[in-house]
Order: sequence, then C-alpha cells, then structure tokens
Amino acid sequence: MTAIPLRGLAAVIYAASAFAAVSPAFGDSIVEANVKALGPGDEVAVSRIPDGVYLRSVNDPDDMIWERLPEYRTRLAPAPPVHESVALRLDEDDPGMDVYFSLARTSERFYVRLRWRDETRDAATLRDRFRDGAAVQFAIGDAETSYIMGTGPDAPVNIWYWRSDANSVESLAAGGPGSTTRLDAQPVSGDSLYQTGEKPAANQWVVVMSRPIDTEGAHQVSFDRAQVPIAFALWQGKDGQRDGLKSVSEDWILVNLAAR
Amino acid sequence: MAVKRQLSMVMDLNKCIGCHTCTSACKLQWTNRNGREYMYWNNVETMPGTGYPRDYAKMGGGFDEEGALKLGQEPSAEDYGVPWEYNYEEALMTGTDPWLRPNVKPTWGANWDEDEGEGDYPNSYYFYLPRLCNHCENPACLAACSRNAIYKRQEDGIVLIDQERCRGYRYCVGACPYKKVYFNEEISKSEKCIFCYPRIEKGLPTACAKQCVGRIRWIGYRDDEAGPIHLLVEQYKVALPLHPEWGTKPNVFYVPPMSPPKIGDDGAPTAESRVPLDYLEGLFGDGVQSALETLSRERQKKAEGGESELMDTLIGYRHAEMFKLS
Repeated sequence: MTAIPLRGLAAVIYAASAFAAVSPAFGDSIVEANVKALGPGDEVAVSRIPDGVYLRSVNDPDDMIWERLPEYRTRLAPAPPVHESVALRLDEDDPGMDVYFSLARTSERFYVRLRWRDETRDAATLRDRFRDGAAVQFAIGDAETSYIMGTGPDAPVNIWYWRSDANSVESLAAGGPGSTTRLDAQPVSGDSLYQTGEKPAANQWVVVMSRPIDTEGAHQVSFDRAQVPIAFALWQGKDGQRDGLKSVSEDWILVNLAAR
Repeated sequence: MAVKRQLSMVMDLNKCIGCHTCTSACKLQWTNRNGREYMYWNNVETMPGTGYPRDYAKMGGGFDEEGALKLGQEPSAEDYGVPWEYNYEEALMTGTDPWLRPNVKPTWGANWDEDEGEGDYPNSYYFYLPRLCNHCENPACLAACSRNAIYKRQEDGIVLIDQERCRGYRYCVGACPYKKVYFNEEISKSEKCIFCYPRIEKGLPTACAKQCVGRIRWIGYRDDEAGPIHLLVEQYKVALPLHPEWGTKPNVFYVPPMSPPKIGDDGAPTAESRVPLDYLEGLFGDGVQSALETLSRERQKKAEGGESELMDTLIGYRHAEMFKLS
C-alpha cells in the first residue's frame, strides 16, 4: 500500500521537524497527551512540510504526515448571540468543547487540520435536520479586527467553511455579523473523515482544508506576511446549530507563518 | 414595517367550494419542480382540521405580547407529506406494470383530513380555508432572519426572500406561525409565496385569484378607498385576519363563514349557529360576531330586493372590480 513509502517520507519530516517531540498517538479517541493548549492571543508557528513530500491526496485527513506534526487544542464556547433568532435557541448549559488543530505549509499550500469529538455524524441538510460544520476564520488585517465575524467592511475576515453534507469548503468573507458572503473565487479545498470509536464518545470528525499560498483576489486572506490571526468555529448539526448558533474559540490565536 | 403601499387580498369563505383550483394554479406556476414539489405556497384546508403542514398552528412562531419573537419549530417532511407520483407510463401506456400505483406509500399529505370536519349529524360542519403567505405588516420571517435576506417591497408590501443572501438557516421557517416559508432541500435555501409579483407588475392578479372558480378572492391596495379591500376590511369590517393574536399583522383577510342554525335535541333549530362562534373567534378574533351580523343584515336587504353595496361587492360580478392593481 502507499502507506509504506509514505512512512519513510514521514520519517524524514519527523527527523527534520523541530517538533519531533510531539507525536500524538492517533487512535479511536482523542489523546490529549502532548497536545499544547492555546488560548486568546497565544502565538503558534506553522509547521513546514518539506518540498517533495506530499499527502496521499491534496487534503488527506488521515495521512501519516499529520502524526508527525505538532497538534494544538483550544477551547470553544457558545458564540455570544448577535441576533434574536440565535438568542432564542442558545443552550445556556452548553459546556463548550475542545478543537484540536494542526497548521502546516509547503512552499505551495497552507493547510489547517481540525478534529473534534462528535458522537453523531450529521451530514444532511433537510427541512428539519442540520449538518455538522467547521470553520477557520482569518483576519484579513491584524488582530485588532473583531474575532466575531470582523469589524465592518473596513476590517473584514476570510472564512473557510467546511460543510459535512457536500464535504466541501467555501471561501467566505464577512464584515460583521450577518454579512457572510460567498466569494466569487473559490480557491480553498478540503476533505474529511468521520472516525467511529468503540464508544460514541470517541467518535470524531477530522477535516483538512487547504489553499495555494499565492492566492490573489479580494477578501482571500494573504499568507505573504509574518503573522495571521486565526479563529475556529464548529457547528453541531444534531443540536440544530447553524449561523451564529455555534461554538467558537475566544479571540484570535496568532499564527507565525515563517515556518521553522 | 411601514411601506409606501400595501397589496392585500380578501377571501370570502362563504363562497369557497374547496375545489383546489387556486392550489393547482399556484403549483403549476411555481412549485411543481426543482425541490419545490412538496411545497404548497397556496393550499386549501378543511376546517376544523389539522391544517397544512400538519398541526402547524401548534408549532409556535410569531410574536409575544411584548413584540418579541417566539420560538417556532421547523416541520418535518412527514408533517408536510411526502409527495408521490404514479406510474402512468408503465400502467397505462406501455402496460409493463399491471397496477397503477404511487411510487411512495402515501401516509400523509395536504388535505389528508379533507371534509372530515367536526360534530355529528345533524350538526356536523366544516368549511374550507385557503391559505397563502399573508405578506404581513410585521413579518416574523423577516424579523427572524439574521442576514437581512428577507425584505418587504416598498411599492406593494410583498415579502420576498433574496435568494442571493439566503444561506438556508431556516429561522424564517420556524418563525412564521402560518408555516408559509418552505425550505428547498435541493438548493438549501428557503422559498415562499411571492404574491405572483411578476404578474402583479404586469397588472395581472395572482394566479390563485385569477383561476378561482368560486370568485372568492379580491386583490387591491389597502389605501385605495375606492377599491374592494378598503370596502371589505375597513368600511364594512367583514374581512378579518387569521390568528391576529400571533402578532404579524396579516394582509390577507377572510370573510368568516355563515352557517345554518344548530339543530336541538327536539329537532328544531336553535339560536346557535352550526359553526360555533367561539371556534370562529379562535381563528379570526373578536370581530367575527359583528362581521356575521353585518353579512346577515346586508344579505337580508338584498333578499328583499333592496340595494346592498356589500353584497354586490361580494358577489364579484366582474374581475375588473375584484382586482384593483393600480
């Protein structure tokens, strides 16, 4: 199988990586050992995948490469409601959840890999059924931009939204709540995997989203800079989550793009 | 929500024969394709009955007394009824299937309880209630949309969903207490009655009104004092909104159904109407009794050979007088 030569390649990365110590075992459950927790304002460096090393497919969520890259986690909590429709449905008792993420780049692509516990796979959008989803949000400008969908049209955000029903990623822009707009150009792609464990509590989604580094176009985030603010959101379809009914990370995490 | 002008519709339930021609006209025009097959932007339900979608009146939505949105639920596919088709080609043309049968097992649908009504002979009763979007003055769907994807046109008050802005959140579906916003699963966006605005813009009435064989529908602007809406709603006050307590201020009005006397145990007519007044008041509010009295009085005038502007209007002699679209 293709995994055998790739194991060799992964070993190269393992040896070359400054993060060799971080190698979370990846099995039926999310293992928290060695996964560094990040919070508001924390900085994190993007990992470098050496040239000539490729995932089995562009966005392979289960490639061995991911085992060799550092993984982080951050706490998500229900987003502050910004509309009456959200406030009406807000679950005050929602304890929040962790999202686990890896950030990587090659000389050509920027990757985000997310995984999170989800007992139920909700991958249909029907009259009374809602889909699971995940989003990565980037400030187009600096971290002064509001992490809640941006600060108006002058300080917008670029959002990569993965939807489970189509298993596809949309590139969106927003300049404040309620303004989310699908962009004309769609350079972001993605793939996902739903892994079931022995118990439903161990079930998890694994999603990879990526985009060519050199992407031009209005409201597509630039990676041609030292640092980019990033934030995360997850939607639990089983709970009817959509729109602002979601779990979000608090404030920005700052990604240093100059990979070591 | 203030608009420059407001189009409005009145339906006389005394004239509705439940033929569903309005529904067919609407469906053929707008909803027989592309994920809309299950939708009835216009439907006719038997009252008392479950309505469409099933038990929609119990699903919440609308506004509370303070004007705050109330939580509403999104109906399931089964609540609407899963549409079925027949194997006409195989059964009737090629003969490859000996049976004419539906492609899904019908378990529920609009009008599943048609003509059941309430009560026992000789006091059983029902009437028909055609329903479409009320193009409300205070639309709950609009208030519920977090993206401002729903708007009310200034020139005629028609409530529309901007299909470019809609992202299929379905808050509007739950918020409309009349359940007249529908989610299109093929395109993941919500859709609703558009009051046939492309026809209206050409000076034509809606398809449901034009095709109505009972001539039960009037269309006009609320502010046209020479038009039929003003006469029926404001002047004679015989046309009433459905469930005004839901707080959306509908712009579709109903002339409530009159009914023969209830028959007592002794076989003689009583003073009560066969369709209970409190039932009608539960649907159309406090104005029912006064409206029914006005209708009786004006009908009597006409029966005695006198003149009645109200009855002449309700008869609907000419379409030109029923539809005042300028």
